[in-house]
This record gives sequence, C-alpha cells and structure tokens, in this order.
Amino acid sequence: MTIKRGPHHIKVMLVLSLALLGVMLASGSWQADAAAGPGIQEEACLSCHGDPDLEHTLPDGELLPLFIDANRLADSVHETIGISCDSCHPDIQGYPHPEIEYDNRRELSRAFYLTCRTCHASNYANTLDSIHAEVAVSGELGAPICEDCHGAHYTQLPDKPRALISETCGQCHAEILIEYKQSIHGSALIEQDNHDVPVCTDCHGVHNIQDPRTAQFRIDSPELCAGCHADPERMGKYGYKTDVYSLYSISWHGVDVQVYKANWPTIWHESAVCTDCHSVHNILPASDPNSSVNPSNLLATCQKCHPDAGPNWTGAWTGHNEISLERTPFVFYTEVFYSSFVPFVLILAAGYVFLRIIRGTVERVRRNLP
Amino acid sequence: MNDSERSMEPTSTRVRSERTFARFSAGERWQHALFLLSFMVLLLTGLPQKYRAANWSQYLLSTPERLELIQTIHHIAALILIAETVYHLGRALMRLFQRRLNGAMLPTWQDVRDAYAMLRYLFSLDRNKPSFGKFTFEQKFTYWFFIFGTLIMIGSGLVIWFPITFTRIFPGGIIPAAKLAHSAEAIAAAIFVLMWHSYHVHIERLNLSIFTGRLSEREMHEYHQREYQRLTPEVNESPPGEGA
Repeated sequence: MTIKRGPHHIKVMLVLSLALLGVMLASGSWQADAAAGPGIQEEACLSCHGDPDLEHTLPDGELLPLFIDANRLADSVHETIGISCDSCHPDIQGYPHPEIEYDNRRELSRAFYLTCRTCHASNYANTLDSIHAEVAVSGELGAPICEDCHGAHYTQLPDKPRALISETCGQCHAEILIEYKQSIHGSALIEQDNHDVPVCTDCHGVHNIQDPRTAQFRIDSPELCAGCHADPERMGKYGYKTDVYSLYSISWHGVDVQVYKANWPTIWHESAVCTDCHSVHNILPASDPNSSVNPSNLLATCQKCHPDAGPNWTGAWTGHNEISLERTPFVFYTEVFYSSFVPFVLILAAGYVFLRIIRGTVERVRRNLP
Repeated sequence: MNDSERSMEPTSTRVRSERTFARFSAGERWQHALFLLSFMVLLLTGLPQKYRAANWSQYLLSTPERLELIQTIHHIAALILIAETVYHLGRALMRLFQRRLNGAMLPTWQDVRDAYAMLRYLFSLDRNKPSFGKFTFEQKFTYWFFIFGTLIMIGSGLVIWFPITFTRIFPGGIIPAAKLAHSAEAIAAAIFVLMWHSYHVHIERLNLSIFTGRLSEREMHEYHQREYQRLTPEVNESPPGEGA
C-alpha cells in the first residue's frame, strides 16, 4: 500500500493514517513502512502527537507535554533534509511506546540529547570539554545541553540572524546579554546586523566554551581582542587603529602579560588586560561618556588597580599611541635625547678609543723597530 | 709621596727603590669599590628585567618569585648607590662651602686644549702625546659621564619605583619617560664602561690605582706629567726608573 502526501489530501490522509495505524499495530509491519520515507512515519507519529493536549505525567509529578507542532516541525533544519522522528527516537518502535523511565523532564532531556551525537559527533565531543559539561558533572543538571541552545524538535540554524546567537546565550546569561546589547559590539549587531562585531561565541567559543574566569583565559584575552583589533581589513572599514595591540604589548602591562602568558599562564596575574580598562561585555568607545576609558572615567578605572593614584596619574597612560610631541612630550624629548645625543656621544667615544688603539699600536711597532 | 716600595731587577743585583704617589684616599677607594659593586649588581639584575620578553631572561626568571627576588636585590643595590651618591655629592658640596674642594675633577679650558692636542697626536699631526695633570680629560669625562648617568638612573629609577608618589607633584607623563630613560641610560652606561672605561684602565694599561690608592713614579711621569712636575719640582727632566 502507498500513500501520497500532499496538503490537499489532508482529510484523506487522516482517515487513511488511522486505518494504517490499526493495520500496522495488527500486522507489525510498521517498521517496514517507516523505511519508505519520513513523511509516512511522521504522519503516524503526528496522528497522536499532533494533539495539543497530549501530555504525560512523569513519576515526579511533572507534566511532559507531548504535542508536536507539525508546521514548526516542517520548518526545522532536520525536517527539510528528511530526518524523521525515529532518527532521534530509535527506541520507539511502534505503539505502545516503552515505559518512560525518567523521573522528570530534565532527566529525560539529558538522556535524549545523547542522540544528537549520532550525527554531530565532533560538536558533541567539544561540549564535553566545556564549562557547561564541567558544571553538569559537578551535579548542576540545569547546565545546557544541545537542545537548550538549539531546540529539540524545531531546530533552526543557530546564527540566522546572527543576533540569535546572543539571544540564545541570553536565555540563561540574561544580565550579560543586557550589558552586551548596550555595548558598541552588541548595539552594532542588533541595530545594524553588523557582521564584524563579535557575538558571544566569537570570544567564548562555540561548543567547547571555557570558563572565562580562569588565569589562562585572562592571559589569553588580549590576543583574543587583537584577533579583530589588529586586523587591518576589519578595522579599516571603521577607521580604527590596528596598532593598539602591538603598542599594548610593549607597554608595562603588556610586557608583564606576555611574560606570564609565555611562562606561567595558569598563575593569576593582575597586570591589566584589555577588559580591565575597556570593560568586558559593556565595552563602549572611549568617546562615549559612559565608557570606562572615557577621559572623565579614566582615573576611576585606573584606581581599580592603583587605588592611591592621584589625578595626574592618567597622564602616564600613553593611550595606545606612538610617542609624539603633542600627546607625550616627556617621552618624546627623552626619546630624542637617547636616540640622538647619547648615541652621538657614545660613537665619538668609540671613535676616540679606536684611534687610541691604532695610535698605540703604531707607537709600539715603531718603538720595536731597529 | 714618601712611601717606598722595593722591587728586584731581574738582571741585576742592584736594589732599586721606587717612589709612589698617593692618588686616591681610602674613602675614595671605598666609594669606587661600592660604586663598582652596586653598578654590577644593578646591571645584572636590571638587564633581565629590561629584556623580560627575551628567552634568556625568561630562563633566568623562571618563576614569578625569582622576578620578585631580583627586583628586591635591584632595589637594595639601588639604595646603596643612592646613599653613596648622596654622600659623594654632599661631601663635595660641603667642601665647596668650606672652600676645601680641590677641584681636580672639575673640567677646565685646559682639558679642551689637552683634548685638541691629543687628537692632533692621534691623527699623527703631533709626534708627542700631550702631558696631563692629576686627572686627564679622559678621566674627567669618565667621572662626569658617571655622575650624570647615575643621577639620571637614580631619578628615573625612583620615579618608576614610586610612580604614585611622584605623580602627586609631577605630571603623569614623567612615568613612561622615566621608564624609557632608565632603560636607555642603563645600556648607554654599560656600553660606556665596556668601551671607554675598560679601555683606559685595562687595555691601555692595567691601572689599579683606584684600588691601591697609589701610582708609581714612572706612571706619574708618563701619564700625569704636569702633576708629577708640580709635585716634584726638584726632579726635572730625567724620567725615573727607566734606564737608570
């Protein structure tokens, strides 16, 4: 027997599917037919799960809704490439279904998400290396699993639109999402759908998200920022300087951080990294009066680490700029002195010593000649 | 000046006594020894800090504790150098007020004339080396190079040691300037010592008078003739020791 699927055959289909279900249950031929295509099997499943009131009471008393919205399902990335119910629910081989052994919904979800691994093995493996997996191991079952971010049945591409990524993370990290949305990065993303700004995953990783509070993450973070801020192509569009990182890395803070990065990346070190001054999620341009690096807020920002610093202190900061007479006159004149006068004196001294050696040798030779 | 040393002439049984001349007081010799020591310690503990990004430095400073340790050593040596500099300059000022400063180290026009004569000699325009006083213009240059260098190092070092204190009075811009000056002056001083000072006291001749405090009559005659003549008006022409 064959059944064609089509929107204008809905009524016929419903009748037939009920009949089919009866036949299948009687004959046990359900599986053979399921192999014919997703449509058929889905019709079968949806004949029950299409009921919005279908639900099940779990042993803990929690209600498990069993309704599947056929329209949203048809829209999901999996459905459009022909992946059907039993790909993810291989244990269900007809009706009646096996008894649900999970006490509550979370337990059930955590068991079911393992089926994602079947196709997405490398992404799954990456999640095992994440802070989310780590907290799950320590007993926090609320830690996100695949379907918390991607959805279970109505899976969509995670970055269409790109702002969706931040919204997804914001489901749990709500306060950070609020901060991020106000930042120069977040506002450009949301208001202009700008593809150059980072979303959560650009800095934190996608599946193997690491704990950003570790010494290692901290010491690596300046290079993370430099990934974009030292890229002439990306920065050029907005007229931003690309030497901010290279100038930082020869600064007092930057050298310190580099040494720690090279030698002791896991030892916590306080020398300032980008985010200490520019803030983390709520980064604003220095021209914004709310920015932590706006001239009016700079001293307070310095005082986070240098609590006794007075108002002159901020003048010590060369501000990611090359040495110049206008911005940094003291350093400028010192530079001039040590790149012209001092080398001049040393070269004269070297020339003088050289002449003395030559003349001394000549004199000695002359004295020893007969 | 009236001290005598005895030395054996290998080819002769004759015993010859040689006069020596006092050059540096015990205090001056101690000052030099202390300066030498603190300079070396400061340089050796400073270079790994200046070149912290380099591999050899990271090999030496293999733990954060080591970095802290050499910073502590650097600060202790710096305090010694500061104390010595204060003592040295304070003493000179005091003597200036008491009109007892002998002024042998002060630069004079004679030094310019000596330098000119020396250049003529070096370019073989003159057959003979000029004669010098107690301190040659080369030695005065060494002294003043170190005076200014040390003052720069102390000033800039204190600024980067106590940046917050200094910026209470001075503009913040002095901090990066002090950092640059400290770093660059250190290298300039190291090059100067290796090139200029070590030539004069090791290569030209081994001159240990800053440790012994004395110069032999022969050395006085050869290298500080004007001073020798001033001290020994009785001996006039014949160079002592040689061919006697």
